Amino acid sequence: MGREVSESCIDALITEMVSSYCNRFYVNKPEVSARRIEAIGYQVGIQLSERYTVERPRFSEHLEAIKFICKEFWSELFKKQIDNLKTNHKGTFVLQDNRFQWLTHMSINASAETTDSSQQEPHSPNSTTLDANLLQATSMHLYFPCGIIRGALSNLGIPCAVSADASNLPACSFVIRIKA
Amino acid sequence: MIVCVAVIGQQNNPLFLQSFTQEDDDLKLHHIVHCSLDVIDERVNNPKRSGIAVNEAFLGLLYPTESYKVYGYLTNTKVKFILITADPEVRDADARNFFRKFHVAYVDAVSNPFHVPGKKITSTSFSRKLRSIVDNLGSITTV
Repeated sequence: MGREVSESCIDALITEMVSSYCNRFYVNKPEVSARRIEAIGYQVGIQLSERYTVERPRFSEHLEAIKFICKEFWSELFKKQIDNLKTNHKGTFVLQDNRFQWLTHMSINASAETTDSSQQEPHSPNSTTLDANLLQATSMHLYFPCGIIRGALSNLGIPCAVSADASNLPACSFVIRIKA
Repeated sequence: MIVCVAVIGQQNNPLFLQSFTQEDDDLKLHHIVHCSLDVIDERVNNPKRSGIAVNEAFLGLLYPTESYKVYGYLTNTKVKFILITADPEVRDADARNFFRKFHVAYVDAVSNPFHVPGKKITSTSFSRKLRSIVDNLGSITTV
């Protein structure tokens, strides 16, 4: 019987973690904070994958492990499965979540809300800085889940690199590249 | 009677070994555990010959020594659990059950945020929990 955790507490904790690393510990060094946040996610991923694979037969191939991440693992974390899984059959997988829990509180900035065009053209002059800020804040929040996925997969014996793309809030896609 | 339980990491590095005998025989037990790793490797790489259900975590009896029997269990994350027992007859169901509890205890131990993945498990509560699981199995098999 699993123990339950308040969703809003986790949301708040993650937001606070990201802001602490970006605005307090490593001000003006976004790449360092990104690395630190990813490292936390990595350890969490290792531990979670250990827990969620209890009582499961071992995976015989990469796709099975990825499917496990998409289904059981994601359900345990976010109470939903990954909405779309794509692969090129050469070690790259794209996991898309149409409503990623940890991004639901990200506000789509004012200019993007009022004029739809700025969302489609992020480099229009007046919205460039706003969009850049938004993009950076969003991407900071994505290092943690990326780390979780990387940790879980490497603990299952699949070394990989994970990146995320959230240009289309609140949808979010994670790109997994398995290292040969 | 259960003589020893051990946890072996992904790189076949010893993470934990607990002996339940009064003697100072850790070295001998380490040796037995070490030997069992080859058997595990063989089982996993040739699942057909060994006749176990493919990809099941429980590996069954690995090999008998003169005085002991060695059972193995391999998790999805390539962590091995080894059980060394002096009982001549252990039912598979009991062993399976034992390893399941062992696995849960292990997961709890490594979920400790102060535990560094891949390092030895030093948690005393893990060791206490294992002792109670071992006592539990011991009471089943002696009845």
